[in-house]
Amino acid sequence: MSSYSKAAQQWATFARTWYLLDAKMQPPGKIAEMCKIILQGKHKPVYHALSDLGDHAVVINTRHIAFSGNKWEQKVYSSHTGYPGGFTQVTATQLHRKDPTAIVKLAIYGMLPKNLLRRTMMQRLHLFADDDIPEEIHKNLVELLPQPRKVPKRLNEYTQEEINAFPRVWTPPKDFEWK
Amino acid sequence: MTGAGPPSRFLTSVLRNGVGRYVCQLQRLTLTLSRDAPSSRGVREYVEEKVVDFARQNPGIVLYVCPKKSRVPTIEAEYLNGTVEVKPLTSKTADEVAEIIQTLANQSGLEIMRIRKPFHTDNPSIQGQWHPFTNKRSVLNVQEIGQQCRSSP
Amino acid sequence: MVFLTASLWIRTRKTDRFWRKYDVLQHARHFRGRKNRCFGLAVRVVRRAMVYATNARSLKKRDMRKLWITRITAGALEHSLKYHHFISGLYKCQVELNRKVLADMAIYEPKTFKSLAALAKRRGEEGLVAAKEGKEPEGIFSRYVPYY
Repeated sequence: MSSYSKAAQQWATFARTWYLLDAKMQPPGKIAEMCKIILQGKHKPVYHALSDLGDHAVVINTRHIAFSGNKWEQKVYSSHTGYPGGFTQVTATQLHRKDPTAIVKLAIYGMLPKNLLRRTMMQRLHLFADDDIPEEIHKNLVELLPQPRKVPKRLNEYTQEEINAFPRVWTPPKDFEWK
Repeated sequence: MTGAGPPSRFLTSVLRNGVGRYVCQLQRLTLTLSRDAPSSRGVREYVEEKVVDFARQNPGIVLYVCPKKSRVPTIEAEYLNGTVEVKPLTSKTADEVAEIIQTLANQSGLEIMRIRKPFHTDNPSIQGQWHPFTNKRSVLNVQEIGQQCRSSP
Repeated sequence: MVFLTASLWIRTRKTDRFWRKYDVLQHARHFRGRKNRCFGLAVRVVRRAMVYATNARSLKKRDMRKLWITRITAGALEHSLKYHHFISGLYKCQVELNRKVLADMAIYEPKTFKSLAALAKRRGEEGLVAAKEGKEPEGIFSRYVPYY
């Protein structure tokens, strides 16, 4: 307090920060939960509903999100244009093919409070299908947030030694016929 | 919540007056009274008995006594910050007038309105107020964030 | 006999009815539209406003507590603690600070808040050890002190 002026203190306290999230192999709901706290500014002890404290959230790799269960086939996104016959329903797979950022976007939009600030908060959300970010956004980034879920390793990413060292329950005999 | 309610302000003082030295904020008093009107009787008594003592005790205050044909005797107080306050003294006794003048002399000249909080400090924080980087890891200063995802030019 | 007051009645103040309406309208001066100057409209709105104000006096206490809890949650999250772990840890160590003070501390005295968070965290870890071994660890700062 003493070493710098009150104006500088004010700018420092209400400075906007940019957070990076990697959505690779993450459930969209968990990503949305992290984003919603950042966008509302509820991660700051100076939070107040009337002071606009939300930070920016940059989410990359939304193309590679992971749904559990059979949500890709069974989860349905509905919309209605308001006109007769304007009811549309698409499954998560179809929506994801059309727009790889839409699922994460809808999950976050649904979790934010339903008030006039919701559109403003959504403007502070930057979604990228893959892992390339424009330079002007990249230079603002402050912190890479830890992922909510551990990214599983694919079988083709293991080396042959690791596969051989893996403990086996049962070794098939040489003349075993795979059906 | 609208800002259109009755006016209010925060607790302030004029340049921390009273911490160390005290400067009387009242600069000028003009006492307007009538020679004959019955409503000025108390004020006339005050002028006869007490006004000289008051002026002696407060050398920082300029005091004018202004006899004038008027139904309403008034006191006009001018403060260092430019506030001018006029109070009617109709049918007040000499003691009441003395009390009013003493009150005016003690005031700071700040507008009298509802004070929102009964406490105030210029230095709210000793350890330094919170800002987004207070509890961040210091590694972030030297770390490159997401260098793998910078788009190729 | 001398009548002094009779001459004052020649020009009296306005009637009681006027002042009764005036008092109500004074509360409605900042309202929008005709209700800030027409008594018939203003009286209902002022009555409603008074009811709101009465309710708000108790709601304010609730709202402030909610805000403090939100702020403490944010402050505790920065030290990777959940709100209820933080509060229950402090309660068990008999740190009797209320939520208002804790929320103010998170903003204005962040170092103190950090050490409180460290205390609560340590209490949580040691409570877990105590639950496993059946007795409290000895010579420990964050000893659990039950209230009697």
